[in-house]
Amino acid sequence: MIALLDPRLKRLSLQKDDLPAKENLDQLPTYEVFVQVKEPRPFKHEGCVHASTPTMALVFAKEQYSRRGTCSGIWVVATKDIMVTGYSDNATDIYGRFTETANCQGDEYSIFHMVKRGTQHSFAGVVKAASPQAALACAGKTLPRKKPVLNVWLTKTANILKTTEEDKAMWATTPEKLFREAIDYKTQEKIKAFKENH
Amino acid sequence: MYGGGYLFEKTSLDLLADEDQEKLAEFEARIDRGEKIEPHDWMPKLYRRQLIRMIEQHAHSEIIGALPEGTWITRAPGFKRKLGLMAKVQDEVGHAQLLYSAAETLGKSREEMIDDLLSGRSKYSNIFNYPAYTWADSCFISWLVDAGAIVNQVANSKGSYGPYCRALERICIEEAFHLKFGHHAVTWLATGTPKQKKMMQEALNRWWYPMLQFFGPPDKESAHSEVLMRWKVKILSNDETRQQWLDMYVPKIWELGLTIPDDKLKKNEETGKWEYTEPDWDEFVKVINGDGPCNKERLAVRKTAEKRGEWVRKAILATSPSKEYVTPLA
Repeated sequence: MIALLDPRLKRLSLQKDDLPAKENLDQLPTYEVFVQVKEPRPFKHEGCVHASTPTMALVFAKEQYSRRGTCSGIWVVATKDIMVTGYSDNATDIYGRFTETANCQGDEYSIFHMVKRGTQHSFAGVVKAASPQAALACAGKTLPRKKPVLNVWLTKTANILKTTEEDKAMWATTPEKLFREAIDYKTQEKIKAFKENH
Repeated sequence: MYGGGYLFEKTSLDLLADEDQEKLAEFEARIDRGEKIEPHDWMPKLYRRQLIRMIEQHAHSEIIGALPEGTWITRAPGFKRKLGLMAKVQDEVGHAQLLYSAAETLGKSREEMIDDLLSGRSKYSNIFNYPAYTWADSCFISWLVDAGAIVNQVANSKGSYGPYCRALERICIEEAFHLKFGHHAVTWLATGTPKQKKMMQEALNRWWYPMLQFFGPPDKESAHSEVLMRWKVKILSNDETRQQWLDMYVPKIWELGLTIPDDKLKKNEETGKWEYTEPDWDEFVKVINGDGPCNKERLAVRKTAEKRGEWVRKAILATSPSKEYVTPLA
């Protein structure tokens, strides 16, 4: 190991030998994260976080997905609580597969659509239904859509932990953090002056 | 953003013989049409394996790449540089999380990936096995290593796997600041006092050849990339990314009055290609296989962090109402 100039590394007193293999125990469950960049745009899927509880998932999601740029809200939901349909072919609406008559009453489900491969799932609306299957049938009938939907995610709305009005204060100063922006690092003048003197 | 010069396992088309040929044809037709593959689609085993390998290497590179820069946060010259570097390093670690998530959708858990990093089974970008002796080394990384990674990642964001492309698009948006931050810091040193200028020049001399190696071995020696290119796992060849980087950044380096430690470096006006002295590819292999100046230290830092965090993870797990892990969706 070479000696570095870094005081932090010296303080660490690094493990020089191989540590015993780590116990296979700390894979936390994942939560899917949906972010609203600005009102009134829809919440869009951004990725997942590993967390022990929904509250922790929200904390990690805030850091992971809204550290840069604007944000007006975050939703998290445990991956295991989301149901997923298959994919339809490009021009075919997936709802064509869920046409049975259903009673649109019961628990509230939140529905997310993918309209093009490669794009994120977006929040499409809510329906009431007694089962996930019924929710798909009801969504097919009631949710407006401009393009064929290729893939649907759905979850009971009660499974989603959402940021509140009050929480929005945490994003209030994000635009002021200019040190995170390219625009704050101007070099042109300096280089011009340097070239003129050489 | 630090990924570049990924190492793929040798691919043999024989591996495709036992795939369902009809599904394989559909899969390839989808890619030819420019459509993305999504996590629940059918895919050849080889595609899945090579993607996991590539995305995982990229994620590890973000984590390990944060070490040489991260160690300079406490000694960054001035409050503004400290803030900027801290924000950049935080972004890089965030990028690792995005990439681990994308790889997880293919069926390998984050924990398995981290275990493989610690045990040395998985690789990361070789350039981080070199030391950042001075602040100028850190500046070189911020500007020019990031620039190299950007060339590579902008190309890969046009690849075929949906979750990886989405992660890369996100990463590329966050990157603009890293590049400018790095360029700004290098510019200030290169146009500063004679001592600052000397420090920057010495760092550039140290990093030049590892930087050329960053893009991976010459194309003539990486023959197994044909199927990866057909499946849009790899978009540009190693030589193509190296040439793009040289084309974009050599003039910017010269503009700052810095020199490049290679007498043969020049652009051949006829071919439009840069000619340069090849880096030592034997050394590259040696360092990848663990015998570089910082390999042991980089992993030791990670292992120590893993060990020290163990009690925290145990405590968190005890409070977790559900330990059921399912593969992330997208």
